[in-house]
Amino acid sequence: MKLSAFRKKSPWILHYNAGGCNGCDIEILACLAPKYDIERFGMINTGNPKQSDILLVTGPVTKRSRERLVEIYSQMPEPKVVVCCGVCACSGGVFRDMYNCEGGVDQFIPVDVYVCGCGARPEQIIDGVVEALSILEKKTKAMEETVQLKNQPVNEGTQLNRRNTAAAIIQPQ
Amino acid sequence: MGKQYEIPLGAQHISLLEPLHFKFTTENERIVDTQANLFYVHRGIEAACCSKFKFRQVSFVVGRVCGLCSISHSTAYSQVAEKLVKIEIPRRAKYLRMLVIEMDRIHSHLLCLSHVAENSGYEALFMKTMQYREFVMELLEAVCGNRIQYDFSIVGGVTRDLKPMVAEIILKRLKIFLPQLDELMDIYKNNWTLSLKNKNAGAITRADAMRLNVVGPFARAAGLAVDVRNETEDLLPWKEVGFEMITETGGDAYARNILRLRELYISKRIIENIIHGLPESPLVTETKAFPDGEAVARIEAPRGELFYYAKGNKTQVLERLKIKAPTFSNVAAMVEALNGNEYGSAPAIIASFDPCLSCTAR
Repeated sequence: MKLSAFRKKSPWILHYNAGGCNGCDIEILACLAPKYDIERFGMINTGNPKQSDILLVTGPVTKRSRERLVEIYSQMPEPKVVVCCGVCACSGGVFRDMYNCEGGVDQFIPVDVYVCGCGARPEQIIDGVVEALSILEKKTKAMEETVQLKNQPVNEGTQLNRRNTAAAIIQPQ
Repeated sequence: MGKQYEIPLGAQHISLLEPLHFKFTTENERIVDTQANLFYVHRGIEAACCSKFKFRQVSFVVGRVCGLCSISHSTAYSQVAEKLVKIEIPRRAKYLRMLVIEMDRIHSHLLCLSHVAENSGYEALFMKTMQYREFVMELLEAVCGNRIQYDFSIVGGVTRDLKPMVAEIILKRLKIFLPQLDELMDIYKNNWTLSLKNKNAGAITRADAMRLNVVGPFARAAGLAVDVRNETEDLLPWKEVGFEMITETGGDAYARNILRLRELYISKRIIENIIHGLPESPLVTETKAFPDGEAVARIEAPRGELFYYAKGNKTQVLERLKIKAPTFSNVAAMVEALNGNEYGSAPAIIASFDPCLSCTAR
């Protein structure tokens, strides 16, 4: 079986706080707990960016955590989905235009799902992450299509035979 | 002497809720030196409160300093602003503030305990504690209208009244919570697996705690009787509602767990007393005065003493607002307490300090 078949059944989540107030972070923790139980979608919180599929970001991006956020995003393998959690991750919220805040995650990395609210309720977070699942599936399909195009056999009739051309150039000497 | 290795922990790590960075120098897996690097989440709230927002709006902004103890921040600011505009708030508002602060303390302490259990590698206990914590989030939603970020205290009083039906639900749910708390107490006290990671881990002596100005549960677990609720009577009448000082000896992660659980019994008692003896009065004192002069206010947040200083100049915008968060006082002792422990137990020790970096860095 291929890895991509399982990706939809068990996406792994990476959580990063880019300068938020901890409010959304404890709601993410509450999602992992028995009442909301995000693990029924096969999701698990992992600390390693190289193994994860969904990046959950909270907080307005502060100037110091900006580099870490981009670094973590670039370390994640394709396909990957970014979910903004809380209004300050979406647009800056109450922290917008404060001197050390950049205001919004989407200025630095591409964002797929916006979950608003201050703080975002666990139901909203689950809704957003399930939405991210369908995007993840779409991205997986798009990647597979490009791989299929590459693997198609070369049709002899339409392609230039480079070896013959090269031989014809070399022959006169 | 063995070879020394430097091991970083953070800024992004599975065991950390928020970005902080520790650099451990280890020798044979034992930490000999620690460097803490905390200020990743500095947002500039103090500057914005003195320039962008009017003084009545600031109580909503400082609530966003920290999601865990937002009620402590907004209450402390409200008290400071009330001193500046020179008003006395109604008695019912004081009691309602204390009610929400204590409910917030229950949720914060249980979150910290579950986090210690998770970082000690005891996933089942994490799940159990989080499950038992959920009732207080529902109650907070019933009282304030939101699970976190309550926006309950404003300058002059509180925003919402406690409905009799909600008060009844709180009493009923606290009755269900009591046997669950006993069960948690039994597990955290007697479980052998948990004691391997928590007993004698991250210990600090009473003398060191006093020298390094430790506050909150961290200090009380080391035997130091430090609690703002015990010291101030003028703003919130804590002793009227049955506050009692609790201290533990030992100062290690185990003592901090037990201390937090014992404080929950006191919180439960305070909530019940408040609901039974809630005085009748209006909720808000209206005033049109502008802030003038200087004032300070102290309040016991779940992590320790929270200190607010404000200065007004008879305009809508404050001249200066200074916040000193409890974790800021504890950083020096945190670094000291980590030295000498095994590297493997470092995440559990850090969780047992219950650090709140968004308070510290603001």
